[in-house]
Amino acid sequence: MKSHSAWGTSKSLVKFRIPTSDNLVPIRLDIEIDGQRFRDAFTWNPSDPDSEVVVFAKRTVKDLKLPPAFVTQIAQSIQTQLTEFRSYEGQDMYTGERVVPIKLDLRVNHTLIKDHFLWELNNFESDPEEFARNFCKDMGIEDPEVGPAIAIAIREQLYEIAVQSVTSAKESRISKKGRRAGEFFSASKTGGNAVDLVKLFGNKSSVIRKRKEWDVYEPIVDLLSNEEVDALEAKEERNIR
Amino acid sequence: MEKIFQDLEPYSVPSYSNWFSWSNIHEVERFSLREFFDGSSITRSPRIYKEYRDFIISKYREDPSRKLTFTEVRKSLVGDISILHKVFTFLEKWGLINVDVKSDKEADNCNGNCKPISIGGEEEEEGWKGRVKVEEGAPYGVRVVAAPNSMKPVASLPPPPSVRADGGRGVGEVGENGFKWPPLASYSDVFGDSVQQEKKNVLVCGSCKEKCDSVHYEYTKEGSFILCEKCFKSGNYENKLADDFKLINSGNQSDVWTEAETLLLLESVLKHGDDWDLVAQDVQTKSKLDCISKLMELPFGDLMFGSANRKSKFLDVTGDVSNFKQAQLDFNESQESAKVEDPSHGLKDEGQQNGYADTQGQPLKRVRMEPTSNTSSSLMNQVARISTAVGPHVTASAAEAAVTALCYENQCSREIFDDDDNFIDLKASADNIEQKRAAQGNLLDGDEGPKQSETQGPSSHKDTIQINLRMRAATATALGAAAAHAKCLADQEEREMEHLMATMIEAQLKKLKRKMKYFDDLELIMEKENAHIEELEESLVADRLNVLQSIFDAGISRWRDHASVKSQTGVAVQFLIFILSSKAKSEKRIAQIWFSSQRTTLISQIEKPKSTVFLSWFLSQDSKNEDA
Repeated sequence: MKSHSAWGTSKSLVKFRIPTSDNLVPIRLDIEIDGQRFRDAFTWNPSDPDSEVVVFAKRTVKDLKLPPAFVTQIAQSIQTQLTEFRSYEGQDMYTGERVVPIKLDLRVNHTLIKDHFLWELNNFESDPEEFARNFCKDMGIEDPEVGPAIAIAIREQLYEIAVQSVTSAKESRISKKGRRAGEFFSASKTGGNAVDLVKLFGNKSSVIRKRKEWDVYEPIVDLLSNEEVDALEAKEERNIR
Repeated sequence: MEKIFQDLEPYSVPSYSNWFSWSNIHEVERFSLREFFDGSSITRSPRIYKEYRDFIISKYREDPSRKLTFTEVRKSLVGDISILHKVFTFLEKWGLINVDVKSDKEADNCNGNCKPISIGGEEEEEGWKGRVKVEEGAPYGVRVVAAPNSMKPVASLPPPPSVRADGGRGVGEVGENGFKWPPLASYSDVFGDSVQQEKKNVLVCGSCKEKCDSVHYEYTKEGSFILCEKCFKSGNYENKLADDFKLINSGNQSDVWTEAETLLLLESVLKHGDDWDLVAQDVQTKSKLDCISKLMELPFGDLMFGSANRKSKFLDVTGDVSNFKQAQLDFNESQESAKVEDPSHGLKDEGQQNGYADTQGQPLKRVRMEPTSNTSSSLMNQVARISTAVGPHVTASAAEAAVTALCYENQCSREIFDDDDNFIDLKASADNIEQKRAAQGNLLDGDEGPKQSETQGPSSHKDTIQINLRMRAATATALGAAAAHAKCLADQEEREMEHLMATMIEAQLKKLKRKMKYFDDLELIMEKENAHIEELEESLVADRLNVLQSIFDAGISRWRDHASVKSQTGVAVQFLIFILSSKAKSEKRIAQIWFSSQRTTLISQIEKPKSTVFLSWFLSQDSKNEDA
C-alpha cells in the first residue's frame, strides 16, 4: 500500500520492524522471587525459534545459580515481550523521513551516561551496536557492559517510536479513509517528538549547531563511586515501589 | 571557511587524497556518500554534506596533533548520527582528518569490526573519566539481590576477582588467586562434543580411578570393569577373581622402542640416509612415521638427519650447532677411546660412524635430557650448554685452542696471550697442521698425554678441529665483545643515574634557596612593620604628653589644693609607671616635662613624709636622665 504523495518513497508504508540493520528486539527482565531480584537487558532475534527461549532461560538460571523457579518466570517474560513484538509485525508503519532525538540517561554499574543526539528513523541500516562501540571507544569506557546497555537503550526507544508509528498509521488510515492528501502532515503528527526537518535542513539554515547548543548534545559520562551507586540504587528502588 | 584555510600552514594530506579541495565536491565523495547526492531526503544534500565535511576538517585542523573523535564533532552537527558517522569515517579513511595521529589499538577504519571491549589508549583521554574496574563474574547488570525486607540470606556469589582489562593502564587488581568459575552451561553446549570424545578415549581404572596406560586388564565376564596394571598386580581385584581378567595391550605399539630397534634404526638411517621407506623396511616392527618421530626424539637424531647429507661435506663450516656438536663429539670421543684411528680420508665416514656407535649408549644416557639440537636458542646459549656438558679438561683445552686460534688470526693478540715462539701462521697445509698439533701438544700440560696423541689423530679430523677451534675462538671473541659491551652499557647507566641524582639534588637546593629568600623577604617586611608600629607608639605617647602638658600648664594652680594633691599624685604615679613601661626615645623629654611638672607638686608636698621616698627616687631619675 504505497502512498502517492509528492515525496515519493519518503512516505512509504513498510511492515513493522525495528528500523535498524538487524531486526533485534530489546528485551528487559526484572523478576523477583522470594526476595531475589534478577534484572537483565539484552536483544533477541525474533526469528529464533521459540524453543530457544526456554533453553536460554535454563542456561541463565544455571550459570547464575538462581533458584529454578526463575526458569519459568524468565521464559514467560521473554515470551510475552516477544509476542507483543510479533503482534505488531504484521502491520504497517510509516517510515516517513523522520529524525527523532534519542536521549540516553542510564546507569550501568559505575558509569552514568547522559547523551542526546538525532537518529534517522527511516535509515534501515543504522546500527545501535556500532554507535555504542564508537561511543565507548571515544569516551574511553572500559566497562564492557556499557556498550550493550547503550545499544539496548537506543533500541528500546526506536522500538517505542516504531510502535507509535504503527498505531498512528492505523489511526490515520481509519480517519483519512478515501483521502490521500495530507499524508505528509499525518506523518509529522505521528512523531510528536520528531524534528522539524524543513527548519533544520532547509536552505536557509546551517547544519552546524550553534555553540551554545553544543552542551545539550554533548555526551556526559560520569564515573560514580560506590557510595553514589548505592545511593542511586536506593533511589531507584524507592521510585519503583 | 576560506579564511580559516588561508591562516593555516599547508598540511600534508596523503597523496591518495589529493583530489580534495575546499571549494568542490569530488567524484570520490559523490560515490562514497551517495546518500547526499541522490536527492532522497531533505536531510541530505550536497550543501549539507559540504558543511559537515568542512566543519569536521576544520575542527581537526584546529589541533592536528590530537586525534579527533567522532563524539567531539557530532555534538556540533545536526543530523542523523549514523550518517554523520559515515562522513566521519569517510574523511578518516581518506586521511583528511586524523592523519599521523597516534591511533588507538584498534584500527581507525574498523567500521563495525571493533571488538566490543575497547580501551581508550590515548593520552588525551587519560585525564578523562578515569577507569572502571572490570570484574570477572556475573555482570552486575544481571543481579541477584535480596529485597531489603526479606529475611532470607541471599545466595551470594563468591567475591569475583578483578582482572586487569587487557592492556589497560593500571586498572583494578590483577586476579592472581587464580579463582575459576565453573564453566558456563553454554560452554558445554558448544564444546561438549569434543569433551565427550576426550573422555571416551581415556580408560579409567575401576579401583584406583586413574587413567590406564596402554596395558590394562579387562574383566571378561559381565560388565566392563577395567583394572590398570598396577592394581592388577597388587591384587586389588574388587571381589573378582584374578582368572577372569584378560590382559589387553591396547597401548600404541609404536610407542615402545627397544634397544635393538633403536640400534637398527640408527644404523639403517646411516646407511640409507633420508630414504625412510628403506629405513622402515629395516626396522620391521615400526612404521615410517614412527621411525622419523623416534629419530627426532633421540638427542642426536637431528644430527642423523644432517649427517647423512653431510657425508661428503665433512669440512663444511656453516656455523650451526649441530656441526659444532658433532665436531665436539668427535673430539670428546677421541678422548675416551685410547685408540687412534688410522688417518685416512676414506675412513672418515667410518670414524664418524664409529664415533656414533660408541657414543650411542653413553650420550644417550648422559645427554638425553639436553636438547642440544635446539637451534632456536642462541649460539651463546648453546656454547654455554655444551661446555657444561663436557668434562673440564675438554673445556680447558678448548679454551686454549680458542686462544691459539685467535692468535693465528690476529698478530697482536699473540703477545697478549702467549709469547711462545712456536706459533706459526696457520694455513691449510699438512706441515703447519702437524706443527700446530705439536705446539698445541706442548701447550697442554698435565694429563693431556692421551689428548696429544688424539690431537695428532687422523688428518681427516684435522681440518675439522681447526675449524672447530676457529669457531671456538670466534665464540670466545664474541663473548668477550658482549661482555665489554655490557660493561660499557652498565657504565653508561651509572653515569646517567649519577647525572639524574645531581639534577634532583640541584632542584632540591633551588627549592630551599627560594624558601629562604622568601623568609628573608618576610623578615624584612616584619621589621618594617615593627618600625612603623613603634613610630605609632611614639606619636601616641607624644600626643598624650602634649595633652598632659596642656593639663599641667592649665591646671597648676589647682595643685596647691591639698585635697586634690593625693589624687594628682595618684595620677602622677600612674603616669610615671606608664613612662617607665614605655620605651619611647623621647624618654628624656618626657622626663623633663614630668620633672618640671612634678617640681611644682613636690614643692607643695615636701612636708609630706611619703614624698621623701618619691623625691629621692625622682632625683635619681633626674641624674639618670641627665646622664642619658
